[in-house]
Amino acid sequence: MRELLMVRYGEIYLKGLNRPYFQNLLLARVKSAVKAYSSNVRLHDSRIYIYDMADKTACLEAVQQVFGVHSVCPAVEMEKGDFEKVCEQGLQLMEGLSGSFKVIARRADKLYPLDSPQIGAEMGGYILSRRPDLKVDVRKPDHELNVEIRDLAYLYSRVYPGPGGMPVGSNGKAALLLSGGIDSPVAGYMIAKRGVALVGIHFYSFPYTGERSKEKVVQLGRILAGYCGGLKLYVVPFTDIQMRIHESCPEDHTTLIMRRFMMRIAEKIARKEQAQALITGESIGQVASQTMNALACTDAVAGMPVFRPVIGFDKIEIISCAQKIGTYETSSLPYEDCCTVFTPRHPVTQPKLDKVEKAEMNLANAEALIETAVNDSEIIEI
Amino acid sequence: MSAQVKVYLDNSATTRPQDSVMDAMREAMSERYFNPSALYGPALDAEKLLTGCRRDIMQALRTAAGRVIFTSGGTEADNLAIIGAMKRAQPGRVLYSAGEHPAVAESCKALSTMGHEAVEIPLREDGVLDLSALEALITDNTRLICVMQINNETGAIQPLAEVAALRDRLCPAALFHVDGVQGFLRHACPVSQLGIDSYALSGHKIHGPKGIGALWVSNRVKLQPLAHGGGQEDGLRSGTENTPGIAGLAAAIADYPRQNDMRRMKLMLYERLRESIPDMKVNGPDPASLSAADHILNLSFPPVRAETMLHALEAIGVLVGNGSACSSRKKKLSHVLSAMRLPAADIESAIRFSLNPFLGAEDMDCAADCVIRNYDALKHFTRR
Repeated sequence: MRELLMVRYGEIYLKGLNRPYFQNLLLARVKSAVKAYSSNVRLHDSRIYIYDMADKTACLEAVQQVFGVHSVCPAVEMEKGDFEKVCEQGLQLMEGLSGSFKVIARRADKLYPLDSPQIGAEMGGYILSRRPDLKVDVRKPDHELNVEIRDLAYLYSRVYPGPGGMPVGSNGKAALLLSGGIDSPVAGYMIAKRGVALVGIHFYSFPYTGERSKEKVVQLGRILAGYCGGLKLYVVPFTDIQMRIHESCPEDHTTLIMRRFMMRIAEKIARKEQAQALITGESIGQVASQTMNALACTDAVAGMPVFRPVIGFDKIEIISCAQKIGTYETSSLPYEDCCTVFTPRHPVTQPKLDKVEKAEMNLANAEALIETAVNDSEIIEI
Repeated sequence: MSAQVKVYLDNSATTRPQDSVMDAMREAMSERYFNPSALYGPALDAEKLLTGCRRDIMQALRTAAGRVIFTSGGTEADNLAIIGAMKRAQPGRVLYSAGEHPAVAESCKALSTMGHEAVEIPLREDGVLDLSALEALITDNTRLICVMQINNETGAIQPLAEVAALRDRLCPAALFHVDGVQGFLRHACPVSQLGIDSYALSGHKIHGPKGIGALWVSNRVKLQPLAHGGGQEDGLRSGTENTPGIAGLAAAIADYPRQNDMRRMKLMLYERLRESIPDMKVNGPDPASLSAADHILNLSFPPVRAETMLHALEAIGVLVGNGSACSSRKKKLSHVLSAMRLPAADIESAIRFSLNPFLGAEDMDCAADCVIRNYDALKHFTRR
């Protein structure tokens, strides 16, 4: 008898001939997620099995963060020959549980003397005779005891959900504009969940913001890295550009022009990193730079797709997602991300592209400024 | 981005321990590590260390009465003085100044669960306690009055003698607790002569170690312990004594330069800044007045926000404090400056310079140069 984690995947099942590619990628992700707790991870019977765990709870939690995982069950693996022993193990799994239950049996080994309904009935009877406090309910049981007869017998009574999605790396790479606020980590999470690897880009406005605000973004990066197995973070020195915009552009357009510069810099970094798209945490109408007209003006400078997965979310919905993925607390730390000094009191909400472009003309040497910002970026491997 | 530290001007937050302090702590750990409560001979050495330090503290406070209890720092000393003294007291009124450190203010508020009524005493616009307001607040059933020696944000020296006189006239039974964390050794505080009943101090504000502090209490205070256990410190603060910390505290007290140039240095910095930055504002008493502490200068440079100035100075190795911990998302303005009814713009740009006795004229010049240069550059980049 040995304990293990049984990991099931979801969407990969739908893949055709390239399924092995996705399976192996997921296997690699799971291995990397649990490497501190187990080195015995195997792909078998379209599932991933994890044995010899140093810390079962921590291992389970780590697997629950891996994109592509549909669910994970702490299970027991044992010889199937002595059916009474299998029943005894089933009884043990019911320890501490009360109310109603149901035995769900699956017989993959068709030579096994009992068929699935018989296994269910026999084991249910065995447990009931020793635990008269329990009830059987086949329609809406409180607990489901699963028994699978394969080359060995597998028993489990608890199923923990995984995040779903696709293994990271299976769908290319994108660059995430990470501000330190609540929205951008959620946006990054959502795209990473679709199998996309992330590169983080943070715009740093020293001395308007300090080391602590940078450290906050690194912390957010660390939380995201837990899901996508590592993250390269570019910290872009942005103060010069902000000052130049502030000096030479009409006040009501400064935020929008700043966003356009962020996009240009992000795209350059994305191309350097072989990323194919940009990700932002924008949501329609949340602030002046996120009206549809403003977004159109921002998009006009982007030479690659810009993904905005939280575009249709309310703030409350974004917050609840941030809480779920564990970024909310860090995002709520009080250090400034982008200084309010540079925020106009009355930003334009319905900008016209030609006017924005004209306003931008006032900025001499824009290309050189962008180049310098990209080259002077600090790269932090998380 | 962090540069090497050239001038450290955040000595009200904490200080660098003197070398002699580190030596004394090392010696206490390597040679005198015995439990002071043990019966064998070497333990006596450790106990002597405690006795010596208690004597040094009482000497510094110019008193022969009462006793000294070692704590983990200023916060615990304030908690012990306030909650420990009021635990068994008849429910009544507890007064504390609006400028008190949270260690005092929150302890007073916590007394409400024991039936006491905690009431704040307002400040004047210069950060000094409003004595006429205090007079109106002292009732027959006032049990405790808490006023700090020197305010940690503004450097305002509080009128302790006048507070004691009001207490003596209106409610002599009330205890008088003084948080001396910023004032200890920097400004004299003869506790018995002033009619103070308890005085809290901290090691790391006077170039000693962190994790050690003390509470002096007069004989009329009936303290109840907060930490129960082996009965150390006459049962008032259980737990094996922090001998390395106490050795460090003793060395810090012995070696603190009582004669020093801090006041002159502070005024030099102030004058240089005032000449170059006419829009500068002083938060607190006039730096040259007798109400202003030697070591603290709180100034605002509107429209440059405190956080921006702080980081800009940090980049060139000048470290200062910001009185107000605020951010774009959660505006939390300094409770002290708010209690002084200063305009929000001044509070948001308030910078605290706090000195130590080891700084010289060249340090003040360097700091002044850096502030002036940054102010000139940054004042243009503000909300229009």
